[in-house]
Amino acid sequence: MRSYHPISKDYVKPITIEPLTYTTDSLQSKVLDHCLANNVPKLGFNEKAIVQSINQLGLSPSIISVLGASNSPSFVHSSPAVLELIKYHLVTKRHELTKDIPQENIDRNNGLPTLEELLIKRLQMDIPMGNQLTDLFAQLSIPSQYLMDTALPELFNLADDMIYFSNEKDHFDMAWYTKRLGVSFTYVTSKLFMAQDRSVDFSETMQFAHDKLYNVMKLGDYYNNAEEFAWYTLMVSANLIKSQLVRK
Amino acid sequence: MYGRTILSKTVGTKSFSILSPLRAKSTPVAEKKTANGYKFEQLSPAQKAYLDRVIRVDQAGELGADYIYRGQIYVLSHKYPHLRPILDHMWKQEVHHRSTFNNLQLKHRTRPSLITPLWKLGATVMGVAPALISPEAAMACTEAVETVIGNHYNEQLRCLANQFNISKTDGSKDEPQEIKKLTDIIKEFRDQELEHLDTAIKNDSHMAVPYKLLTEGIKSVCKAAIWTAERI
Repeated sequence: MRSYHPISKDYVKPITIEPLTYTTDSLQSKVLDHCLANNVPKLGFNEKAIVQSINQLGLSPSIISVLGASNSPSFVHSSPAVLELIKYHLVTKRHELTKDIPQENIDRNNGLPTLEELLIKRLQMDIPMGNQLTDLFAQLSIPSQYLMDTALPELFNLADDMIYFSNEKDHFDMAWYTKRLGVSFTYVTSKLFMAQDRSVDFSETMQFAHDKLYNVMKLGDYYNNAEEFAWYTLMVSANLIKSQLVRK
Repeated sequence: MYGRTILSKTVGTKSFSILSPLRAKSTPVAEKKTANGYKFEQLSPAQKAYLDRVIRVDQAGELGADYIYRGQIYVLSHKYPHLRPILDHMWKQEVHHRSTFNNLQLKHRTRPSLITPLWKLGATVMGVAPALISPEAAMACTEAVETVIGNHYNEQLRCLANQFNISKTDGSKDEPQEIKKLTDIIKEFRDQELEHLDTAIKNDSHMAVPYKLLTEGIKSVCKAAIWTAERI
């Protein structure tokens, strides 16, 4: 999960985007970028797409073993290089989502997009590879080390970013967790819907995401109201008992 | 010695390497200076993790203190009106501490303690139960809690003073502004907590009936809570 964020203006800019271990101008980024833009939409998240990119860029085929260096090989997944491709996709898209928003002195009351705008923007980023989402989901949801180390943390990082960089109210108690869970849940279900969606420009997915987010947020309201009422009832009954005791 | 110089030379001037384009480059970043001087190197993951933990445990602790005083006021303010202004004063300070750490938590994007509801419940019980025994017992509870908190803040200050001397781009070392600020906040709060400790002793905390049992029991509960809140 996310840890302490220092005030970034006082520090040297990091040269990598966490958790990637290479810079944006490195060879890995070049290959993976090329692959995501050109070959993944046609071929999907697999080794074939990466090999094609390597060939098109005129690089040595051995590069593919370098790409996956930061992932451990696994029997259930296809190859470490493909896992890196997926990780790169998740991390860079998340980064791109909030790139244009100033990172310092955030004013919660104006100038920030709404949570829904960010959610829709993130979903739209995946429209070019809309047909490959089933494949992507299959890779991400296999129970494995990759799920725990990359897939789930990235999902929660995305939810955290969406809440932090939107004008949504943030919390310092259990609501901090439930809101992040709610947003993650909305995002994953919308993505699942998108994998099956055949409408023009995925308009039905966007509608679905809108409704889902509305419902999840309404759930939060229900909870708050119930809590208010329970506290009110508790206080009223305590005072009633106290007053009865005083009378005797 | 000889081998090493050769190696460093070859590494520095190597014109071709399969791996060199793959390494994260440490090319000098264009903007190294801010308006008020040179920039700091990045904090290490361990340092970030420590700050994360400091904010979480202090936030949970101040939340606890807030609820303890609330509980005491709820029970005591009617029967012992002379204690009301004293408790009110301490409670208001705790509320200020709590909101300060709440703001820090949101600003630095750390997570609150996962068992916040449990802290609320536990702290309310810890405020109400001794107050039901006697006002002196409530004061003994305050004394025990503030002793543990004072020590805990001192430990944090020691670590912040020792471990956060960060290198700058011009080669010098200094504490970043935010660490200095955090240190000041913790110092101020520690002094106020110790003031509360004195207030409790002045208000006959030593007269509480099972004094040893109460204070030692509450101290160990607080220590266990701190240990847990740092982690969960």
